[in-house]
Amino acid sequence: MRKIYQGFLRIEAVLAGVFLLLMVVMMFTGGVARLMRMPLNWTIDIATWSFAWSVFLCADIAWRKDLLMSVDIVAERFAPPVQRALTFVNYILIAGFLIYLAYSGIHLSWVSRARPFQGIPWASYSWVTLSLPVGAMIMLVTTWLKFKAFLAGPSAPAEL
Amino acid sequence: QAQDTYTLRFNHVLGPSEPFHEGFLAWAEAVSERTGGGLTIEVFPSAQLGVEEDIIEQIRQGANIGQNTDAARLGTYVPQIAVVNAPYFVDSNEEAFALADSPSMIAWQQQLADEHGLKVVCFDWVQGDRHFFTNSEVRTPDDLAGLRIRTPPAPIWQESIRALGAAPTAMNFGDVYPGLQQMAIDGAELVYPNITAGNLYEVLDYAIETAHIKLVNFQVVSSQWFNGLPEDYQTALVEECRVAGQETSAVMAEAAQAAKQTLIDEGMTIIDDLDLAPFREAGMAAYEALGLTEARAQVYAEIGKD
Amino acid sequence: MLIVIIAFFVLLVIGMPVAFAIGISGALFFIQYPELPFTIPVQVTVSQTQNFSLLAIPLFIMAGNFLNHSGITEQLLKLASVLTGRLKGGLAQVSLALSALMGGVSGSAIADAAMQSRMLGEPMMKRGFSSGFTAGILSFGSVLTPLIPPGIGMILYGSIGQVSIGRMFAAGIIPALMLWLALAIAVWITAHMRGYQPERQTRPSLGELGGALRAGFWAMLFPVMLLFGLRAGVFTPSEIGAFAVIYAVFVGALIYRRLRTRNFIDALEGSLGDIGAVMFLIAVSAILTYGIVLERVPETLANWIIGLTDDISVIMVMIAVGVVVAGLVIDATVLIIMLTPIFLPLIRSLDGDPVHFGVVFILAATIGNFTPPIGAAMFAVCSVLKTRVSDYTRESVPFIIAVVAVTILLVFVPQAALWLPNMFFG
Ligand code: NA
Ligand code: NA
Repeated sequence: MRKIYQGFLRIEAVLAGVFLLLMVVMMFTGGVARLMRMPLNWTIDIATWSFAWSVFLCADIAWRKDLLMSVDIVAERFAPPVQRALTFVNYILIAGFLIYLAYSGIHLSWVSRARPFQGIPWASYSWVTLSLPVGAMIMLVTTWLKFKAFLAGPSAPAEL
Repeated sequence: QAQDTYTLRFNHVLGPSEPFHEGFLAWAEAVSERTGGGLTIEVFPSAQLGVEEDIIEQIRQGANIGQNTDAARLGTYVPQIAVVNAPYFVDSNEEAFALADSPSMIAWQQQLADEHGLKVVCFDWVQGDRHFFTNSEVRTPDDLAGLRIRTPPAPIWQESIRALGAAPTAMNFGDVYPGLQQMAIDGAELVYPNITAGNLYEVLDYAIETAHIKLVNFQVVSSQWFNGLPEDYQTALVEECRVAGQETSAVMAEAAQAAKQTLIDEGMTIIDDLDLAPFREAGMAAYEALGLTEARAQVYAEIGKD
Repeated sequence: MLIVIIAFFVLLVIGMPVAFAIGISGALFFIQYPELPFTIPVQVTVSQTQNFSLLAIPLFIMAGNFLNHSGITEQLLKLASVLTGRLKGGLAQVSLALSALMGGVSGSAIADAAMQSRMLGEPMMKRGFSSGFTAGILSFGSVLTPLIPPGIGMILYGSIGQVSIGRMFAAGIIPALMLWLALAIAVWITAHMRGYQPERQTRPSLGELGGALRAGFWAMLFPVMLLFGLRAGVFTPSEIGAFAVIYAVFVGALIYRRLRTRNFIDALEGSLGDIGAVMFLIAVSAILTYGIVLERVPETLANWIIGLTDDISVIMVMIAVGVVVAGLVIDATVLIIMLTPIFLPLIRSLDGDPVHFGVVFILAATIGNFTPPIGAAMFAVCSVLKTRVSDYTRESVPFIIAVVAVTILLVFVPQAALWLPNMFFG
C-alpha cells in the first residue's frame, strides 16, 4: 500500500512538473512566433490548460509539505490540549470543504460539458474544470493521512 | 395577495462610463417602474461578477443572473446565430433591429432556450461598426496581410478577421494597451468608443474605417428563471429591453462620432474614404469557412435583403 | 457577508491554513443565497487559473528557482558584494535595488516578491540576516513595483477610469524613488541598530572588480534583458517569465556549466511546492471576492465615507486605509479592477485629481498585499522563505513605517506625483 502511494506521489510530481514546463515552452514559443509575425493562438490555450492542472496538483504537494501558510500568532498561545482540539476541528472542516469541492466540481464538469474551451468547438472546458475536483480528491487523501498521523500522537511521523 | 419580488443581477464587461452601462441602468429603471418594484435589475459593470463564459454557465444552471454577450459566443451553442457576427451581415441599425422578426432568428433563439437554457431577452443593442485600428496605413485587404490584429478569443471572430487578410491574435481587451505599446500586436479591431475608453490612441496611429462587423449585443438570462416570472413581468422585461437597446444604439452612433473627433484631436490619422468592395468580397470567405452561407441566405430572404 | 467575515477570522485564529479559511468562509456565503448555483465557488476558483495576468506568477517563481540553480544568482551577488560590501546591511540594500530595478517586469507584486525571495532569500540568511528581516525587505521592496512603468495596475486603472495611462506612468516615478529612499533609510537604521557588520573591510582592487564584472557578465545581462524585453520590447509579462526560465537554463547549462540533470530536477521540484502554496491561495480567494461584489460592499463603504466628510485628503486617507484592509485577502490587481469604478467617480465629484488619486490608490492596494497579519504576497514570501508570520510581523515594522509615511506624504503633497506628468504632458 505504501509502495503504491509512493509511486502515486511520483506520478503527481512528474505530471505537475511537466505541466509547468509545458507552460514555459508554450509561452516562449508563442512570444517568438508572434515576433516572427506568425501568431499561434493555440500556445496560450495549452499554457492556460496546463496552468489549471499544475495549480491544483501543486496545491496538494504544498499541503503535504506543510507549505500552506497559516496565521500562527494567536493559535500558538492556546494551551496544548486546546491547540490539539483546534487542529482536530481544522482537519474536519478542511475535509468537508474538499469533499464539497470534489462533488460540486464533478457536477459542474458534467453539466457544463457543452461549454467550449477558448471557443474551440471540439475541446470542452470541463477538461479544465476537472482539475479542481481531481486536485481536491488528492488533497482529501493527504488530509486523511495527516489526520491519521495526528491521531497517532505528536511523536508519530506522518506516512507522507 | 402578496406579490413575489424578483431580482436579476446583470453583468457586463464594459466600463461604467460607457453608454451601454447607462443603457442598462435605464432598462433597469424602466422595468422596476413598470412592475412597481416587483422586478429589479442590479447592474454590475466591468465584469465584476465574473468573466462572460462563467456567467453564461451560471445562467444555464438557472441562476437569476443576466449577461450582455454577442452572437459569436451564443454561436457555440446554436451555430447559426453566429451569422449575426459575420462580416458585413447587416448595414444599418434598422436592419439589425429588423432581425428580431426573422422567423429563423426566432427559431434559433427558441432552440437556445429549450436545449441550452439561455433566454435571449432582446438584441436591439448595436455597439456600432468595428474598424481596424493599426500603426501602419491600410487601404486594401492586401495591406492587412501579416498584421497581427487583436481579436476576442473566439474562433468565429478569428475566422472573419483571417478572411479579411489579417493574422488574428487572441488577447483579452485589457492586454491590448500593453500589447500595442510593446509591439506584441500591430493593431486591433474595435468600435470607436473602445479606443477612447481604453486610451488606446496613445499607442495607435491609424483608424481604418472598414466597418467589417456591425457588432450586435444580446441580453441573455436563464430561461428557467424567465419562465418563472409572471407573464406581465416577462413582457415588461422584453419590451423595455428593446426600447432601452434601440435608444442606446442611437447614443452609441453619436458616441462613435464624438470618439472619432477625439482621435483626430489626439493626432490619429482617420482613413474614411476606403473602397469597401474588396473588403466585402474578402469577407464572404468567412461565411464559407464557418458554414454560415445558408443561414445568411435564409435570414436575408426573410428580411428582404439581397 | 458579516457571517462570512466573522467565520474567516475565527478560522484564522484557530490556525487553519489561510487558503482553506478563505475558501470555507467564502463558501458560507452561498448558503445564504440558495438561488445561486452551488457550483459557483468551483467555477470562480478554476477561472483564476485561466486568467492571463496570473499566469505570470508560476513562471516567475520557476524563474527564481532556476536562477539559483544556474549560478546566475550567485554571480550577481558576488558582484554586489564587491561593489557594496563595505556598507552595513549591504546585501539588504542590494536586494532593495534589485527589487526596484526588476520590479514591474512580471506585472505582479506577488510574482516579483516570490521570485526574489527564491533568489535572494537564502544568500541573505546565510549572511546573518534573520528570516523575518529578509522576508520584510524583499516584500516591501516589491511595494514600489507597480509604480514603475509599465505597471499592470496603472494600465488597468487608466483603462477602467479613463485616465491617461501615459500620465499615470510618469506620475509613478517620483513616488517610487521616494519609497526606495525611505526603505533604504529604514534598512540603514536597522543595520546600524542590529550591528550588521559589513561583509568586507577593504576597498576592492581594480583587478578584483574587473574579475567580478567578467564573471558576472551573463548574470548582469539577465536583469538588463528582462527590462529591455519588456520596456523597449516585444514580450508580455508572462512571456518574459518563460524567457527568464529558458535564459537561466541556457546560461546555467552551457555557460556557467552548473546546471545538470540533478539540480534541474531540484529547481523544478522546489517550484512545485512554492507554486502550490501561492496559487491555491490566490485561486480560492475568488470565492470570497464573489460575495463581496454581489453584496456591493465597496459601494456601501464609499457611501459611508462620503457621509462622514467632504475633505478630499481625509477621504483619500480613508479610502487608502479601506483598500489596505481589503488587500488582506484580495490581490492588488483584482482590487484595482473592482474598486476603481467605485472610488474614482467619488474623487472626481470632489474635484480631486484622478492621476494623484490613482498613485495613492494603487500604492495602498499593493501595501495591503504585504501587511501582516494577512496578505496574499506576504504569504507568498513567508512560504518561500519558511518564515513565521509572527517573525515577519515583528521585523517588518520599520518598512511598514517607511511605506506608510511615504503614502501619507503623497496624499498631502500631490505635486510629488503630478510634477512629472504635468511637465511631460502640460
Ligand atoms: Na522584492
Ligand atoms: Na495585508
